[in-house]
Amino acid sequence: MLALLVVLSLLLLTAYFGESPNGRLHAVQRDFLTVVSPLQDGANKALKPVRDLFGWFGATLHAKSQRNELLKQVDKLRAQLVAQQAEKRTNGQLLALFHLDQLGVNDYHPVTAEVFSKTPNIWYSTVTIDKGESSGVRVNDPVINGEGLIGKVAEAASDGAVVDLITDSSMGVMARIGSSSATGLLRPKVGEPNDLVIEYLPAGSPEVSGEYVVTSGTVAPPPYESLYPPGLMIGQVISGSEENGYESVNVRPIANLHDLDIVQVLTSAAGSQPANLSRLAASLPAGQTSATTTGEQLASTQVGG
Amino acid sequence: MSGPVSGSLALRLGGLALVVVFFQIGVVSEVPVFGVNADLTPLLVAFVGLLCGSTVGAAIGFAVGLLVDLALVQTLGLTSLIFTLIGYWCGRLRELRDPQAALTPLVVGAVAATVSLVGYSLMEFMLGVEAPVSFELLRLIVLGVLVDTIVALPMWALTRRTLESALPDDPRRRRSRRAYTTGGLSPLSKP
Repeated sequence: MLALLVVLSLLLLTAYFGESPNGRLHAVQRDFLTVVSPLQDGANKALKPVRDLFGWFGATLHAKSQRNELLKQVDKLRAQLVAQQAEKRTNGQLLALFHLDQLGVNDYHPVTAEVFSKTPNIWYSTVTIDKGESSGVRVNDPVINGEGLIGKVAEAASDGAVVDLITDSSMGVMARIGSSSATGLLRPKVGEPNDLVIEYLPAGSPEVSGEYVVTSGTVAPPPYESLYPPGLMIGQVISGSEENGYESVNVRPIANLHDLDIVQVLTSAAGSQPANLSRLAASLPAGQTSATTTGEQLASTQVGG
Repeated sequence: MSGPVSGSLALRLGGLALVVVFFQIGVVSEVPVFGVNADLTPLLVAFVGLLCGSTVGAAIGFAVGLLVDLALVQTLGLTSLIFTLIGYWCGRLRELRDPQAALTPLVVGAVAATVSLVGYSLMEFMLGVEAPVSFELLRLIVLGVLVDTIVALPMWALTRRTLESALPDDPRRRRSRRAYTTGGLSPLSKP
């Protein structure tokens, strides 16, 4: 019996790991998600008071320290806002002048969704949402909340979808540090759920603790466009280090990924540039790269090599 | 327990597995304790093995693992493999030693959580994780084991309460109970 079950598990593991995201076992998982999504949604709503009760204790303990920190941030941000309003006006004029063809959030149609489950283990950081393909959600669509980027859609069923959070080991986002032009691939540190890292920045890149990190959008020519529109808030620089002529920057996510209730999926109309990019990225076999790949995957290849 | 599983026991096992997996996903996973989440699923598998034996333990381990992998869209077969081994080993422990100490569920729960967390991490390393891995992972594993050990006793009580009345009478346990109540002597030998 033991041998049979172990062999069966290994067969499943081998078949699942070797097949593409459109393979049979992935399809079974999507079908299962379609069936259990309404159940999970109902259970989630029914059990919310229990969850809130437990969550209240932790939230109260952290509230005071967060309040003091936030007051300091408000003062700092107010000063920045004044300066940036002037910069924004100038930037808008420059964009119009040079006809920069960047993807913006306006190219997407936000679909608001509710989070109803979260992965419990330290290797995967995913949440399941109650909107799926029937609402226009597709694999690789960026997902945000009021605080900034939180991840991308990993699997989509008809009435539910699984979202890989930015702290999931499979994620990589092209990011820019604050007002500088320093860009790099932002990846999670497995085992440190509150830490992200931008590696392989050129030595001497300006890195200031507290500086905000945002999505860089597309920084390479087609077909290496980024899946994410530029300017989405990701996190704040907490420290940096230099090694072998390259700089690494540690980043703390802005969004509270432990407490997600409502999120927005940035869906795109069929045939639009974001939709084509997502489709292209989703069609790539797992663990492989090709000549036609997105900015994030290209950067992953360069880092890995 | 190596004989066939009664319908009542199978029904209770299935119901318990479904309730625990969905409670884990819907509630426990969203309530961090010391920065980690308790994981009730390996505890359930271990305690079913401890109560029902190696065959049922391995089977429920495989089923719960598959359910978790399907519901959370994780690598299919990974959790099943680890949970099958946990269920089997806990079942063998019962069949070979049948420990009756009050702290047995605590120790078994801690070992099951350790095997689950360490086994999962090893498998992920073997499958090739792309992101940089931090030593902080070790701290999270230790904290995860600690939190699972804390919830082991209530989980043991729930599992035993749900399954006990459907379990077939075990002559070996009956013997050990009788020996305990009579101070280790047969009632016939009393003066």
